[in-house]
Amino acid sequence: MVIPKKHSIKTTDKKILEKWYHLLKLGRTIDDKAPNYLKQAIGWSYHAPYAGHDGIQLAIGQVFDKKHDHLFPYYRDMLTNLSAGLTAEELILNGISKADDVASGGRHMSNHFGKPEFNIHNVSSATGNHTLHAAGVARAIKYYRAKGVAISSQGESSVSEGYVYEAINGASREKLPVIFVIQDNGYGISVPKKDQTANRKVANNFKGFKNLRIIHCNGKDVFESMNAMLEAKRHVLENGEPVIVQANCVRMHSHSNSDRHELYRNESELGYVSEYDPLNKFRRMLIRYKRLTAEELDVIDDKVKGVVKRAHKKAISAADPDPKSITNFVFAEEHTPKVFIDGLHDHKGEKFKLVEALNKTLKEEFRDNPDTFIWGQDMANKDKGGIFNVSKGMQQEFGEERVFNAPIAEDYILGTANGMSRYDDKIRIVVEGAEFADYFWPAMEQYVDTSHDFWRSNGKFSPNITIRLASGGYIGGGMYHSQNIEGALTALPGVRIVYPSYADDAAGLLRTSMRSKGLTLFLEPKALYNAPVAATSIPDDFEVPFGKARIRKSGNDLTILTYGNTTHMCVDVALKLEEEASVSIEVIDLRSLIPLDRGTILKSVKKTGKVLIVHEDNVFSGFGAELSATIMEDGFEYLDGPVRRLGAPFTPIGFNRILEKATLPNTDKIYEEVKKLIAY
Amino acid sequence: MKKIGLFYSFRSNKTAKVAEKIVKEFNDGDVEIIDIEITTEDIFISFDNYILGVPTWFDGELPNYWDEFLPTIEELDLTDKIIAIYGLGDQKGYPENFGDAIGIMASLLEKRGATVVGFTSIKGYKFENSQAVRGDQFCGLVLDQENQGRLTNQRVTEWVTEIKGYFR
Repeated sequence: MVIPKKHSIKTTDKKILEKWYHLLKLGRTIDDKAPNYLKQAIGWSYHAPYAGHDGIQLAIGQVFDKKHDHLFPYYRDMLTNLSAGLTAEELILNGISKADDVASGGRHMSNHFGKPEFNIHNVSSATGNHTLHAAGVARAIKYYRAKGVAISSQGESSVSEGYVYEAINGASREKLPVIFVIQDNGYGISVPKKDQTANRKVANNFKGFKNLRIIHCNGKDVFESMNAMLEAKRHVLENGEPVIVQANCVRMHSHSNSDRHELYRNESELGYVSEYDPLNKFRRMLIRYKRLTAEELDVIDDKVKGVVKRAHKKAISAADPDPKSITNFVFAEEHTPKVFIDGLHDHKGEKFKLVEALNKTLKEEFRDNPDTFIWGQDMANKDKGGIFNVSKGMQQEFGEERVFNAPIAEDYILGTANGMSRYDDKIRIVVEGAEFADYFWPAMEQYVDTSHDFWRSNGKFSPNITIRLASGGYIGGGMYHSQNIEGALTALPGVRIVYPSYADDAAGLLRTSMRSKGLTLFLEPKALYNAPVAATSIPDDFEVPFGKARIRKSGNDLTILTYGNTTHMCVDVALKLEEEASVSIEVIDLRSLIPLDRGTILKSVKKTGKVLIVHEDNVFSGFGAELSATIMEDGFEYLDGPVRRLGAPFTPIGFNRILEKATLPNTDKIYEEVKKLIAY
Repeated sequence: MKKIGLFYSFRSNKTAKVAEKIVKEFNDGDVEIIDIEITTEDIFISFDNYILGVPTWFDGELPNYWDEFLPTIEELDLTDKIIAIYGLGDQKGYPENFGDAIGIMASLLEKRGATVVGFTSIKGYKFENSQAVRGDQFCGLVLDQENQGRLTNQRVTEWVTEIKGYFR
């Protein structure tokens, strides 16, 4: 398809040409100046120069409409940001990591520009992973029938990442309004693009995708880039389908200031990439075609010098971040129950199984809040609603736009949740992160990214997402169907992690998660979905606050800390020993791992003096290690014996029931451990 | 025969060397060499016979100096102009875009009414794709100094012999 020539050196309005030249010159001046900040030990220790990408970056920014569009620039996109509306001062504040940096207040790496107020999103250093966010926010644009596009920008080498494929595949399948811009400068740091993929033009890898247009342009040329981006946006808006724009650029300098490109590029290559300096080309053309005189351009150059000088002066004297602020914005605002303050109740009524409690709560919240969405694998197809029926009947009631299947792409599931929640703070998303918790690992890069989005954005963006995962064993599932993953995940700040054992707590914690801001990992003990022992009555609108443990059986001689499947075993053992040996055991169901109810734990330790920690996950580096260390640090003087831990040995879990039984805790093993500790 | 305008970048290396070879194949005074980087519309349009040196840059692009002159060409009436194009390419390094710039330039000139001459066989080359290919021919002379440098002189000589017949 032909690209209309809306802009050319002969036809574009002079005022526009002046504005473009000003932006190009201003951007390049800052780009060239950035390394000096490092040389003077002021900052900007990471600077990825954009010189050679001038045409496409100017065009992305010019085409971007901050009222309606969402922009996801990558770390080389300085000019893109400037062209999209950031000021010179804002760029420098980011470069030298000042408190007033609009992207992150100095928290994120330099050269990662953004301005959430303008819908210019501050993205990860995991290059290209924001393609998923762009697809997600585009899903919201489409759902809310808004007029706008998501623009994602990245280098050609990062297209090798699997998540980029997931994003483009998803955008193509869902027909999402996204422009994926690939800025091709031929290198991923020192790695030539021939080492990335067979096609020299990586966009052509996607030629077989439906609902997707691919546009190639010369990213070094202002007019061709402008025309390509305008056409891409027109196409997306008119056809409701994504477009890839591959812009061929040159990288005139090293990858960043820690790279030395003369080590892998010869003089000839360095010569010809400099030869095609897009800024010089634009200037030559303005003069050659008599659109601006050299004198007029010199006046702009002088103006730019003044702008940069003033911006530098302001930025250099701006405040540094306060070291006391490091713990701000780790967690977004949680919902605080007004009625069930401690997440307890004495309701008597019909009992619900755990799976019914989840299903009922989801439906109630979806009825209550129209801006709720749920997706995942095997989520909804006629009468089937999730592999365990947690979402049964939801699609019928709430429609395919709010309840839908996702492709088998865990990173896409979570990444698009992250992206969609960027559209509006009112949105609440629930995802089944994977069919089973232990299939969640492919989503880890999005999990990590999402865990620190709120902190990284200095409190400007909270991904309001509940990740549901069917977790744990006792079903004979072996690896990928019966493992626990919380031990690994509690190591990451920024995610609330809950693990209920009973239907009422499952309902209450899910409701609280869905009413909170931020990211919550909601682990469901799948062996208890239909277990009568986990069934309870549930009061209407029941809520359980985060960070409130529940004493499932009180006692004086020993404390058991547990959660999930093993809670029931611990209660059984406690009752048995009380009957058999008059041993009084207190069983604390943690419910929330993060935040942790340290108060309830330490109070119990003070009373009993002995602690056994029981969970399914591995003992070594399992969550019990953190519990034990907490007690040792803050409750040592109360102890009358060692803090013991019972869980899985440091081994994967076998499929054969014999192997599973040998691995996981059970009432017999707990019974023996309790007896030993009581006798200590 | 009217004078031939040989347009190329005087700052180029391989393209300029080929230009020198081409000039030697003609009689003294037959060819006038012009630096495309500083030429004007008036100079360009003043010829009837042309040879253009158009190497392929990057993944199938025109060099910046030709790119910058395109807005001029795009508005010219080139009817009755006879134009032959040569250019350097790298069939091993860039097999997907071998000699693309020749094809891009030829298409543009033909749109403006010019007659492009000096087509050559694609035999003897190994590449995947080229915008310069028309059937089993290139729409100009593609030279691969990186991989087939020893063939350049012969290819130039044969090509010039052929294009001489088209110039008026």
